Amino acid sequence: MASATTKRSVGSVIWDYMTTVDHKKIAILYLIAGGFFFALGGIEAMLIRIQLAVPNSDFLSAGLFNEVITMHGTTMIFLAAMPLLFAFMNATVPLQIGARDVAFPFLNSLGVWLFIFGGIFLNLSWFMGGAPDAGWTSYASLSINSPGHGIDFYAVGLQIAGAGTLISGINFVTTIISMRAPGMTYMRMPLMTWTTLVASVLIVFAFPPLTVGIFLLTFDRMFGSSFFLVETGGNTIIWEHLFWIFGHPEVYILILPAFGIFSEIFATFARKRLFGYSAMVFATVLIGFFGFMVWAHHMFTVGLGPTANAIFAVATMAIAVPTGIKIFNWIFTIWGGSIEFTTPMLYALAFIPSFVMGGVTGIMQAAAPADYQYHDSYFIVAHFHYVIVGGVVFALLAGLHYYWPLMFSTMLSEKLGKITFVLFVAGFHVTFLIQHFLGLWGMPRRVFTYLDGQGYNTANLISTVGAIMMAVAVIILLINIIITVAKNEKVGRDPWGDGRTLEWSLPLPVPHYNFAQTPLIRGLDAYWIEKKENGGKMMPAESLEDFHMPNGSIIPFILSFGLFVAGFGALHFASGKDWAIDAVADLPNHPWALPVLIAGLAIVFISMGVRSWKDDLGHYVKKEEVLKDLEEQERGAK
Amino acid sequence: MAEIKQEAISQKKLEYIRRERTKEMRQQMVSFALMIFLTFVAFGLVAMDLDASFVIPIVIGMAFLQVILQFYYFMHMKDKGHEYIKLMMLTGMFFAIAFVTTFIYIVWIGAPIE
Repeated sequence: MASATTKRSVGSVIWDYMTTVDHKKIAILYLIAGGFFFALGGIEAMLIRIQLAVPNSDFLSAGLFNEVITMHGTTMIFLAAMPLLFAFMNATVPLQIGARDVAFPFLNSLGVWLFIFGGIFLNLSWFMGGAPDAGWTSYASLSINSPGHGIDFYAVGLQIAGAGTLISGINFVTTIISMRAPGMTYMRMPLMTWTTLVASVLIVFAFPPLTVGIFLLTFDRMFGSSFFLVETGGNTIIWEHLFWIFGHPEVYILILPAFGIFSEIFATFARKRLFGYSAMVFATVLIGFFGFMVWAHHMFTVGLGPTANAIFAVATMAIAVPTGIKIFNWIFTIWGGSIEFTTPMLYALAFIPSFVMGGVTGIMQAAAPADYQYHDSYFIVAHFHYVIVGGVVFALLAGLHYYWPLMFSTMLSEKLGKITFVLFVAGFHVTFLIQHFLGLWGMPRRVFTYLDGQGYNTANLISTVGAIMMAVAVIILLINIIITVAKNEKVGRDPWGDGRTLEWSLPLPVPHYNFAQTPLIRGLDAYWIEKKENGGKMMPAESLEDFHMPNGSIIPFILSFGLFVAGFGALHFASGKDWAIDAVADLPNHPWALPVLIAGLAIVFISMGVRSWKDDLGHYVKKEEVLKDLEEQERGAK
Repeated sequence: MAEIKQEAISQKKLEYIRRERTKEMRQQMVSFALMIFLTFVAFGLVAMDLDASFVIPIVIGMAFLQVILQFYYFMHMKDKGHEYIKLMMLTGMFFAIAFVTTFIYIVWIGAPIE
């Protein structure tokens, strides 16, 4: 690329990223912002573990501990895991299906900026009168009574970030359905694309209930309604249903792309076609469908009655079947393969037993009568950390190593990567395995300390030691990233040497238009087929001509900023008003709240208006430019 | 700024498009008239002060019919290439109905199916 050789100022690079609609740059934005929030959530996790390392600890006060656990959960789920998965989806999916960009590049950019501003809004609560403290589930019976603005930050921040996620979900569904290259039939799509499709469909169906739930909470807390206020005829259980109708599909939204990343890694480094591809696709869709039918298993102890509990218990256990299909298919993929133990492959191999352990405890909890024993104990904490860390975080770390060359055209150090792997996996099991037993011994979750002499001391100390190991592992990963960026040793096409899917057929760095000519797809593992039969050159499906690309735009940034401003107005609107709920009625009155709300929304609507009435038809990439790039790549290859 | 590339349309194709559009227009007018008629019937039933247990199911049934007309004729679900939209909408409806049913049964009424 011509622009790569000319030195650009820092300001112009920042402006480029603020206005970009290129899915590869948006992937990097997601990676940086998600990585930042991952570090933040990690620091909160360390605070929790330091507090619980010894009995009767007063490192954190009880109130602060509640804030820290709430923000740890919320940050890790909404602001770290999902955006990091979106980073890999953005980086790979358009390349895997042979598209030049996503279907709605403008919305892609809007999605990332809404998420970033929502995340910043949520975390500003630390500096503006206290963070939310009702747990990441924010059950209405607790959150309505939480004094101060903490819960308001939760409601508005998640609403903004959630809108971004919903937009991105719609975008990916449309992209995958309508922008596949010729020959890329549904049953030839790589598993990463399939899982992204199903996860995006889940986002489209699961986020509206969350939006509704948070809207009701927002109106109860900030505008004087009473959906959840029992004393004025509301029903606090509705929040739990709405939250879990969203919350359960949410965990599949997280785990399905993780399955996708691992499926790619297994096939690549076992140098074998993925075993049982069609069964894998079927299992993915089935998990997505079942995900909506099981939400009440989070509420067995609410008192829904034995019939409802039984129905949801059986539905929950049914999910083990498609998940089991996947586990066996991965094992059969490795079986007899010529395995290469790279860092991503090591994570993938460690994922199978770790995730199965989390799955087995999940089935234990699905038995409703037994769940009365496990409920609200550390057993639950151990279970969901086994599936989320052992499944999703392993996938994120594996994906970071695996897709790093695709995103930055350099390779992370394998040596440091393996040290990170050993420390992280060992630390993970040391931290969370013992927590199963803590739970069975009776230690409740979400309680800020415990007394001496209950038999919890040693186990908690072990758990904290494990957490420190994970922290060290992440620091080594950061050092690895810094060294790699500083060295900046570029790698060429197909850096792992065994790439199977279409994204590895591209030259690195990937040109901004991705494909000079849209490729013709001749089967599953498109690039592998061409490597075996055609000397590794994709067959073009079109002649080399000018093609259309979208223009960048600053509007998504401004629009998201408008919602961010409006959020502060909404937040302070009820402070000190007579009709406000008790939690905020005593706070000082802010007359500027309404003007700020209106000003913020005005920015939003003006941005929308500008986008609607000002035509932006994009630009054409000229044939000459593409030819010049191709020539340069030819020279680079020699 | 680049212009969107446009291709010239042949006379035959133009005629074909015109014919299709006339057909489309006719269908829309018919379904529109039908929907107005259904609305009048619904209003009439309510205005006639009939028994509520008789009126409610009929009005809901006609509302359902209106939704189908709306989706198929005004929102183009009858056209080719809308299979995915159909699938997604049906799945969404399935989930929504499942949620509402569970809400009615386990949040408000309690556990009626003991």
